[in-house]
This record gives sequence, C-alpha cells and structure tokens, in this order.
Amino acid sequence: MILNTRNLRVGYGKKTVVADINIEAMRGQFICLLGPNGSGKSTILKTIVRMLSPMGGEVYLSGRNIATLSNMEMAKTTAVVLTESISPGLLTAYDVVLLGRYPYTGFTGNPTVEDNRKVLEALKMVNAENFAQRYFGELSDGEKQKTMLARALAQEPQLIVLDEPTSHLDARHRIEVMLILRQLTQKKNVTVIASLHDIDLVMKACDVAILIKDEGIIACGAPEDVLNEKSVARLYDMDKAAFSSCLGGVELRSNGYGPVFVVAGAGSGARLYRALVKHGFSIITGVLPENDIDFHVAQAVGATMVSEKAYTEVSPGAILQAQKLINEAKAVADAGFPIAPSNKRNIDLLRYASELGKSIYTLRNPEEAVKIYGDDAAKFVYWRNLKQFLENLLKAENLTG
Amino acid sequence: MRTTIETNETAVFLKKRWRRFILVLSLFAVGAFVFLVLNVALGSVNIPLHDTVKAIFGGHSSQATFDSIIWQIRLPRAFGALLSGAALAVAGLLLQVFFRNPIVDPFILGVSSGATFMVAVAMMGSFLLGATAVSSLTLSAASFIGAILVMLVALTVAGKVRDIITLLVVGLMVGYVVSALSSFLIAFAQSENIHRFVIWTMGSFSGFRWENVWWLAIGGIPLMIGCYLMSKQLNAFLLGENYARSMGVNVRIFRYLVIFLSCTLTAMVTAFAGPVAFIGLAVPHLGRLSLGTSDSRVLIPVAILGGAALTSLCDLMARMLFAPVELPVSATTAIFGAPIVIFFLIRRKTTI
Repeated sequence: MILNTRNLRVGYGKKTVVADINIEAMRGQFICLLGPNGSGKSTILKTIVRMLSPMGGEVYLSGRNIATLSNMEMAKTTAVVLTESISPGLLTAYDVVLLGRYPYTGFTGNPTVEDNRKVLEALKMVNAENFAQRYFGELSDGEKQKTMLARALAQEPQLIVLDEPTSHLDARHRIEVMLILRQLTQKKNVTVIASLHDIDLVMKACDVAILIKDEGIIACGAPEDVLNEKSVARLYDMDKAAFSSCLGGVELRSNGYGPVFVVAGAGSGARLYRALVKHGFSIITGVLPENDIDFHVAQAVGATMVSEKAYTEVSPGAILQAQKLINEAKAVADAGFPIAPSNKRNIDLLRYASELGKSIYTLRNPEEAVKIYGDDAAKFVYWRNLKQFLENLLKAENLTG
Repeated sequence: MRTTIETNETAVFLKKRWRRFILVLSLFAVGAFVFLVLNVALGSVNIPLHDTVKAIFGGHSSQATFDSIIWQIRLPRAFGALLSGAALAVAGLLLQVFFRNPIVDPFILGVSSGATFMVAVAMMGSFLLGATAVSSLTLSAASFIGAILVMLVALTVAGKVRDIITLLVVGLMVGYVVSALSSFLIAFAQSENIHRFVIWTMGSFSGFRWENVWWLAIGGIPLMIGCYLMSKQLNAFLLGENYARSMGVNVRIFRYLVIFLSCTLTAMVTAFAGPVAFIGLAVPHLGRLSLGTSDSRVLIPVAILGGAALTSLCDLMARMLFAPVELPVSATTAIFGAPIVIFFLIRRKTTI
C-alpha cells in the first residue's frame, strides 16, 4: 500500500468540501476520482499531496503521516501534474523535465550524466523526444501536458497525482495520456491517482473509480462494478443523458418532436437514434432482441422500445405491441436492417405502417426496397445520407410545429 | 543504438548552449571593461587612453592632475555605476522570477518610494531646523532606512498571504501611500529646497566616493553571490509556486530570501545613487533574450555583467551627451535600454 487516508476531511478555510474519506491506494493501481465540477476532487488531490492541510483525519504515505515528512522525502515519492497552466519563460521542454530532478540534484542544480539519462528516459516514455529542444511556450496543449507528465516522471515518484490531466486535450492526446498512465502503472508499478471527466476512458483504463458527490464518497471500486446507469445518473444529476456500462459511454436523450418509429436491428439503428436525438426527436423502436447492439443504444438514448428475448425469433405478440406504438408515431423510418429468419416479421411492421398511410423514410436503396417490400416500396421516401434524411423529415412532417 | 544517438543529440544541444553562454558572458564582460575605461577617460578633461589604463592598473599616469581626477572623481563613480548596475539587474531578475511577471522591476515592492519619502523627510526636516545643506551621508542613511522599512512591511505580508499576486498588489499599494506622503511634504516645502530633492529622485552616480564604493562592494557582492546560490530554487519557481513546493522547495523561506536579497540590494544602490530606473527591468530581459534561456544558473552571471556594462554606458551618456550639463541617469537608462529590449523582443516569437 502506497497511500491511505483515515477519516480525512478536506476543504478550504472553514468550509468542508468532502468528509469521511477513507481510501487505500496500492502499488501500481490506476485510481480515478469522478464527480461533478466543484464536488471536491481537486481539493482531495491537493490535500493528499500536502498543498492543502487536512481539516481532519490523516493521510499516510507508505504508512507515514505526510504531516511528518520533509519536503524532500515528499518530493521523492510523490509528483504532481496540476491544472494550472505554467509559463516558464524561455525554458525548453527538456529544461522543464530536468526540473523534475530537483530533489536529486546538488546545491547548484547542475545535472549529472545520470540526471540527463533519467530525463531522456522520461521524455521517451511520453513520446516527447522530438520536441524536447523546443521552447515550452511554443508547444501545443497536448505536448505541454506530455512534458509535464515527463517532468513528474523525472521525479521518480512512486505516486503520481494528476488533476484533470486530459482536459483541454484533443482526442488523440487524451487517449495517449491515458495510455501512458496505464503503462506507468503496469510497467513501472507507479500508482496513479487522477481526477477525470471522461467516464468512457475511466471505464477503459482505470483500476479503481471513486465517485464523489455531496460532500462524500458515494461509491468506490472497480469501474466495472461501480459505474452503471444509476450511479452515473446520480453522480451527475443527469436526466437528459444516460451512461451505458455496456456501451462504455454516455448517450444523450431528448423528449421532443415526433415521435419517430425506427425499425432497426444489428447496429443499423445506432447512428440513426443518435442523429434523431441530436435533432430533438423522441424515438420509438422495435422489435429488437436483447442481444442486439441497437437494443443497448436505444435504451441509453431513452427510446420507447419493444424488445424480444435474446436469441429468439420476433414473436407475433411483440409485433402487435409494436403496431400499437406505430399508430402514435408521426413518421416511420427504416434503418436498413439486415433481414434474417429471426426478424422477418419486422418487415410486416413497415407494411403495416404503409397501410396506415404513414410516411415511411428508408435508408435502403430503391432496388433493395422493392425486393423486400414489393409494391409498398413505391410509397417509401428514399434518402441516401442521414443529413438529407433528417432535414427532409423535419420539413415534410412539420414536426417542429 | 537509439539511446546513444539521442544522448549525442542532447549533448550537442547542451554544448551549443554552453558556448552561447560563454560568448554572451564574455561580450558583457568586455563591454563592462570598455565602458569603465571610457568613463574614466572621458569628461570635461579628456585623458589619453594609455594614461587612463596606466592609472587604473599601475596607479600613476603622466600627470599629477590626471591622477587626482582619475582617483578621486572618475574611478569611484565608474565603479559605483558598475556595482549599482549589477545589483539592480540581479534584484530585478529575482523579483521577475518570483512574481512570474516580466514587467516587474526592483522597485515594485515600494522600496524606492520608502527611500524617497525618508529622503524628503530628512531634507525638509533639516531645512526646517535651520540647516542650509544636508550631508550626503544623512541622505544615504535616510534613503536606506526608508527602503528597509518598506522591505519589512513586504516581509510581514509575505508571511501572511497565500497568493504571491496579493503580495505584489500590497507592494504597489504601499508604494502609492508612501509616495502620497512624500507629495504632502513637497506641497508644504519651499520651492528652492525642492530642486535638490527632485534631482535626487532622478538618480545620479555623481556623488560616489570610495567609501560608498566599498560599502556597496562589501554589502552587495555577498548578496549577489547569495542570489546566485538560489538559482536552483529560482528555476523551480519558473513553474510556479505549487510545482516548486511539490518538488521540495521550502516556499516560505524562499519568499523571505528573495524579498530580503532583492530589496537590500536595491536599498543599497538607492542610498548612494537614488532610484535608478529601468536597469532592473531591462537587463534581465536582455540576458534572457541573448542567452535564449530563463535558466537562472547562467542568467544571473550574465545579468550581473550586463547590468554593469549597460549602466556604465548609460552613465557615460548622461555625462557626455549635453556636457557640461549632466542628465539624470534614469533618463539615459530608459532611452538606451528600451530600444534594445524592444529590438530583441520583436525578433523573438516566444513569450518571456
């Protein structure tokens, strides 16, 4: 165990931000703190690296109370990456990383061969060798963050504490930083504690997730165990979006125009659901077996759904239920799902809608539609891409009114 | 294999930097020496160069009048300018790093306002008591005391505030208040007494005697060495106070030391030469830009020699440009310093 806290209470001045913090960090663990803005993630991190003093309780580093450690002892075990942006003037990335050797260099701060080697090693670990000789101020946000990470590594810590290391970064650097951290924990047995906002990345990279809300820790454990639709919704007070542990991400929701009935399956519906939700439609969909990816996406976007048990044929009962819902729909969309014996009854749904006189929009090409729907296909509206499809759906149905 | 290549690359890059440092350092050293010699040679009486060099190194020139001009007037003044320039440049550098602000100068914490106020008190007080003149020793003492009092305020505040910017603002406010007090005194003073005071506030090295030079050398050189010994902490501070602390810097002691070193250096210069503007602001930039680095380990020696050279040049200009009228030295420092800084800044694209 590298770090543990006992009844820790953190805050500023007289105001408690989070209380009853009892956490344990093992060697080589990747631990993340999740919570809404202002929930106290940074306050906890600042307290465990001694930038703030605890309002109550203790923090132990390798079993020793951090209040009793000297600055140098602390610096040799713990390194930080903070949210504050730095402007070190005319220092190159190399110089900045070299500053991480501070606890090890002599009185004048002159680096030894060993120090230079450690700096190069740290730069290599974060793939920063190619810009090491450029001035820090000239680097992109992603390169800056990698430099700061290398600086922390040069400190040769057993514990790295990072405050929102992925904010401001583009998709590539976000993932790169997470991979570097992951590698650190696995190859160098370094413990990483970070506050993060990307639930999907936490799910994929971290060993332990700590959920913080309303002055306390509401859950702590493996992300696979603690992150589910309910806990995430509670954590962020989300009703316009939902987390799906199966999809590993957050889906937006809407209760707007429509509804639009989408006949989908085998992943053909996923992008259509998201696009419809994005444009403010509410969705009804079916009939989907529970092992279909569309089933999970539809659930996450909050669609009304008719489903069938996994690996079973779509039953007449389910179709009947779906037909009732089609009556309420303002428009019907055919996502272009592949047809197999288990879902061929879904074709009848579209025929039924056609008989009712509903407008049917399809993403299939006309030849294919004729083959599948026969004469009914003539009444369908065909669109090749989603943008066109949505624009025309909005216009034709006047659903916005 | 790859590691060797990279190590070589880094070695080449570090060597190149070292060469640049030596070059810049030598340039400033040569500059300081040349301006020193010129300061001694040129004036209302021009002394031939060989006589000047001879007098500086050997003690005697060809004429006894030259000897007395060189030894009693020009040399102490030239050395005074050298030492003052060095001290102000280092003090400015320290505070620029400390406040992480490029427009900070050694007077930012109100040191010059404190000195000016006490000088005003001493002058006006003496005249009020019926004195016809005020000795320069009295003025130096008053100035030093005023500066140190302001420093004590800054030190007290530094121990209390969390945020360094608060300290900066407090320093500015103290400066304004003390300046306001000086204005009260001036408003009530008689106009003929004000002239000398105003001249004092513009700074001049004309009053330097050997004893002043010794004071400045004995006090200032150890303090400058003290500043150099802090380069490791100063470098860590380039990343800001929080990172510095996380790397093991004792921030509290660091704050006290920086304020003590920079304010005492400034106070000593101000005591003998009055508030000499611009050197402390410009020379650190000049050093950074000519070296291409903010690394204090190389920047402090360069600032010391650069400050000495530039101040000598400015004093030479102040004496010679409109001779026999002598310009206030703060006027020439700004006129010559500012274009140099602007030139370097425009050539650079990075922020400093």
